[in-house]
Amino acid sequence: MSLLKIRKDFTFLDDNKWIYLDNACQSLRPRQVVDAIKEYYENYPVCAGRSNYRLAVELQQKLTDVRLLVSKFIGAKKPTEVIFTRNTTEGINLIANSYPFVEDDVVLISDKEHNSNLVPWLLLAKTKKIKVEIFSTNIDSTWNWESFNQKLSSKVKMVSLGITSNLDGVTIPFEEIIKKSHQFGAKVLLDGAQWAGHRQTEVSKWGTDFFVFSGHKTLGPTGTGVLYGKEEELAKLQPYQVGGSTVADTSYTDFELLGIPERFEAGLQDYSGILGLGEALRYLGSIAWSEIEAHEKKLTEIIIEGLEKIPDINIIGPKESDKRNGIISFYHPKAQSHQISIILDQTANIMVRSGRHCVHSWFNDRGVKDCVRASTAFYNTIEEAERFVNELKKVIGVLT
Amino acid sequence: MFCIVAFLVLSIIGIFSASHRALAKEAFDCVFRRITFRPCNTGFSEKMKAQLIGKMMTKSIRVARFLNRNFELLSWILFILTVASLFWTGKGLYNFYMYGSCNGLNKSGFCALDPTGENNKISQAGGSCSIGSGDESKVTLKDVNLSTFPIKDIGSKDNVVFIGCFNCDYTRKAYPIFKEFLSKNKVNYTFAHYPVKGETSYLLPIGYCAYQQDKEKYWKFVDKLFESSKEDNAKPEYVGKVLTDLGYSSESITKCTQSPETKTAVARQRIELEKTNIYGTPLVFINNRGLVGPKPFRVYDRILNGLKFWK
Repeated sequence: MSLLKIRKDFTFLDDNKWIYLDNACQSLRPRQVVDAIKEYYENYPVCAGRSNYRLAVELQQKLTDVRLLVSKFIGAKKPTEVIFTRNTTEGINLIANSYPFVEDDVVLISDKEHNSNLVPWLLLAKTKKIKVEIFSTNIDSTWNWESFNQKLSSKVKMVSLGITSNLDGVTIPFEEIIKKSHQFGAKVLLDGAQWAGHRQTEVSKWGTDFFVFSGHKTLGPTGTGVLYGKEEELAKLQPYQVGGSTVADTSYTDFELLGIPERFEAGLQDYSGILGLGEALRYLGSIAWSEIEAHEKKLTEIIIEGLEKIPDINIIGPKESDKRNGIISFYHPKAQSHQISIILDQTANIMVRSGRHCVHSWFNDRGVKDCVRASTAFYNTIEEAERFVNELKKVIGVLT
Repeated sequence: MFCIVAFLVLSIIGIFSASHRALAKEAFDCVFRRITFRPCNTGFSEKMKAQLIGKMMTKSIRVARFLNRNFELLSWILFILTVASLFWTGKGLYNFYMYGSCNGLNKSGFCALDPTGENNKISQAGGSCSIGSGDESKVTLKDVNLSTFPIKDIGSKDNVVFIGCFNCDYTRKAYPIFKEFLSKNKVNYTFAHYPVKGETSYLLPIGYCAYQQDKEKYWKFVDKLFESSKEDNAKPEYVGKVLTDLGYSSESITKCTQSPETKTAVARQRIELEKTNIYGTPLVFINNRGLVGPKPFRVYDRILNGLKFWK
């Protein structure tokens, strides 16, 4: 993997002015993605599927190609198992609202799920009277089998978990979790938002029932995402959004839904976004996952080692770099997180996130006000990681 | 404390800048939460503090550290300064509206709204034209006998006195404004010529005699002299022609001006005017309240009628 060559593809990184360490929020986009979006608007800005002229047919073919590409990228058996969404959140909401839950069905989630994997279930608990069970993670934020096993039962209809936590980068042992859940008859929905752009996805091999991820965290455009579902599981879903593009025929009293996946993609789709997503996944696919993993682990290692040398810094989660996927969160008792991030930006053009990272529930439960989160990607350099640590030391020195 | 300061400052800047308006809104939210005894959870103060410290860090780490450690104290100092500054600004605006000067009635210090001090300029006794330097607080009508001065008595309860000099720039500036004021208000009006410059001293007995001989024509005579150029007013032959044109008898006026009674009366009038502690013209009294220098119309009107915004 030639980092120099890769960074040339990211216009934003071209002049090395910025140090972008907010990849957990969204990744940067290579030139190829931007070009694909531009190409749509300049060369075939038409509707796909609905019209018979050549450009419409051509666009439809390109979208079909992207669906095939996505299915291969995530290791699905068929492209029809891929549904385009706006993002991870929409994917989870689609399952929450379309899966045939009945009263007293249990949805099991962990205590550090992102709001997108918490609130849809809480809402469902109010509207459909399902039960949301929450199991705790270990004190160091790692997976707790004991707690999980205690909650898992035949009443659990869905186990919904983030593969990699956006809070601390900890990755759960999802393959064992899937097996264990299936033993109890529970379906598994994996939130791959913080995973898909960093590690190889193999949904069929894993055996997960559902998998969601966002385009904007995998080098793709904002407003794009994917929901994967096993063919037989998707067949059980009742679309919660219908209208144009979801039906084959209608009368004044009835309608005939299109097949899967179209019935779940209501309204005119984000064509340029989907094409950009295709380019993003193509780009990611051109780099060996093992190289991405090794590089991100190295970056994590540098940052954690640096943080450990700063007095009183509290790192959220385990300190071993191999237990994290490039996300490092920390807080300092005497320096406010927002101030740290703002000053890093002002003094060194370093972009990190501060706050509760949409995991308010975990912060409230643990009594932690907020934290700073540095999240890396394969295009970050060793020098950037080192500079971040050095600048952070200066900032903490001023604030304490 | 910082969010209050920020709110005040950003609100003012926000009048001109949309980005600062958004910050002002955020600051207001913070202030509102504070005054309703709730914690400010917008992080506004933290963010602003961080931005200040960050900017300072690029210049000096030591100063940035000092700023961080003493931020609350500095915020308090800024708060007090801001409140004081707002108070003085408000007072200045009030004074300017009420008296035509930011510093108050007859105060001649610098005023940003009247930077050249036009509303306070007077022609000083001695003949120079500049911002007055007499004791403004001492001008008074107490024990001043104005009975021999020209007066338009309409039986009003309000009395105004205009003391000015025909050839002084600031009297000439004030006179039309004052005339407008007279036209819009029913008042008893007394006029006194106080020649700051020696070139118009000869008009004192002429004015006295003109009033004595024909009170109606006298006011036209005064108007004419304020309309005429300063050069013309300095020429007795020009003034003589004005009198003749108005229908006065030049012989009669000449005879009157040379009489000992007139000379005595003019001298007494001068003594009476000196009792006002006049140090420059124009000097206007509205119901005994003295105004030095040419004031805007609103000031004369407000002093007579009070604050009547609904007028």
